[in-house]
Amino acid sequence: MRDAFSDALVRHAKADPGVVLLTGDHGYALFDDFRKECPKQYINAGIAEQNMVGMAAGLARAGFRPFVYGLSAFIPVRVVEQIKLDVAHDQLPVIFIGDGAGFVYSHLGTSHQSTEDIACLRAIPDLSIYSPADRFEVSACMDLAYQSNSAVYLRMGKSDRGDVHSNIPNLTIGELLEVLPGNGGDVNFIATGSLVRTAMDIAARKYPTASVWSAPFIKPIDYTQVTSICRRSRAVIVLEEHSVQGGLGSVVAEIASELSPVRILRIGVPDRFSQHCGTYEYLLKEHGLDHMSIEQRIHDFLEAN
Amino acid sequence: MVYPMSSQVKAFDTKALRKTVLNMAYAGSTVHIGCAFSIIEILAVLYRNHLRYPNNDPRAFERDYFVLSKGHGVMAQYACMLELGWLKDEAIAQYFADGTELKGLSDSRIAGLEVTSGSLGHGFSVGVGLALGAKLRNSEQKTYVVVGDGEINEGPIWEGALFAAHHQLKNFMVIVDENGYQAMGSTHDVIELGSIQSKLETFGFEAATIDGHNEDAIDNAIKQLWESTSTSPKALVAKTIKGKGVPFMENNNIWHYTRLDSETYSRAMSAVEGSS
Repeated sequence: MRDAFSDALVRHAKADPGVVLLTGDHGYALFDDFRKECPKQYINAGIAEQNMVGMAAGLARAGFRPFVYGLSAFIPVRVVEQIKLDVAHDQLPVIFIGDGAGFVYSHLGTSHQSTEDIACLRAIPDLSIYSPADRFEVSACMDLAYQSNSAVYLRMGKSDRGDVHSNIPNLTIGELLEVLPGNGGDVNFIATGSLVRTAMDIAARKYPTASVWSAPFIKPIDYTQVTSICRRSRAVIVLEEHSVQGGLGSVVAEIASELSPVRILRIGVPDRFSQHCGTYEYLLKEHGLDHMSIEQRIHDFLEAN
Repeated sequence: MVYPMSSQVKAFDTKALRKTVLNMAYAGSTVHIGCAFSIIEILAVLYRNHLRYPNNDPRAFERDYFVLSKGHGVMAQYACMLELGWLKDEAIAQYFADGTELKGLSDSRIAGLEVTSGSLGHGFSVGVGLALGAKLRNSEQKTYVVVGDGEINEGPIWEGALFAAHHQLKNFMVIVDENGYQAMGSTHDVIELGSIQSKLETFGFEAATIDGHNEDAIDNAIKQLWESTSTSPKALVAKTIKGKGVPFMENNNIWHYTRLDSETYSRAMSAVEGSS
């Protein structure tokens, strides 16, 4: 997934000399290729995220195409106001890459864990939020972000969960992709990022008639498609490695409540900080996002009326 | 390439600029008059003698960049934009009327304003990015950023200062409006700033301090800083008076937030008219 990101970045930078990469002193080894191929387009802005985003706005205003890279705990959360005022308000084409979203930095604690980034950005106009699930979606999202010529936040979470596609999907902005076809009715899973693979595994094992949809776009999202999925479902299960407040689950619930009410189970990070240190798998379990906990919650939800 | 300064034909008479500010403030029944008055001479000199806008186009690709990071002084910039023909008289007369464009703080969607400010500490970094862009393109464009002294309480200013010096952005100039006041009191009482010139020099800027109401001093200092052969970013600390030009407003911080009534408007206009 990170290779796909690096490859796409290098590809765009080589094709467009206006592309510049700004990093807040992060991305060890990730940018080796970029620095080799496009050294003049690489800017380490230092450990100074607010200034970095302001500068990116200035560069975009001067005609450049900045990619701003950081850990998602910092880009975007630390710089929400810079993104709002300096970039989104001006409709400037700055692409923000928030790496390590969710519990990737499980051992490092709350400062490096990022489960509120989507919620922090959703209310900002003129800013899109992408959340790819695998290396193929990363490639497609990077291309769409560049082509959109607008402000985009691209969220990259756990990168080794396995592929959900077999090749780069032909994506339209806002579209949900059916990654595991079901019978079209009954239960539909809608997941994003790292939990798409999880949703596919659980559905394949427990709910063979259910469809699983990947949502690479949190905003904009295709209302018609979400409504259609909800309309034909007995229940919808939304999964994300993000707070249940303000993420994809909220998006789906908001759309459904207005256009096609259906019972929706929002599986995500509960409204609390991590308590303990441990592996990624451990942290998922602490927050009820391991396979067994998810399966139990789905079971209970579907059993209840 | 050197473009003719279309603004050369304009006077940027500081009395006229202050009157425009008073007319706006009275029309809109708005605040921040003192913030605008301290930067009148700085803006007059910049627009008259330094900023280059090809074809008098505020969005010309090869323009110099003028960033008013202290968006609270935006009425001073509106007054200059009126002189340039970028704003119409009606915009001044209808300031703050429902449905109009001009806001009480700098808004980048208005041609001629480079940033959306008012939340402080943003414009400096945007300016550093503009200067970096010009450098990467080998363009002769210059970037000027006006910040308030209170504004430099903000951390990103100093992040940007480190970056500008490290990357030798010699095409970047910050002008600090040192009027000695911020919203709730004097800078000495709120957050002591000490010598701003020394601080910026320590960060790697080539800096000078001048009387921010002496147009010749401002002009000469800007020229001298640009004529320097050093690769450092530039800083001009302008010692100013908040509310300058109207004696009852000068160094009287209530004019950060006080609105004009018919009596104070008339007195202020008379004071500006009668000033030397």
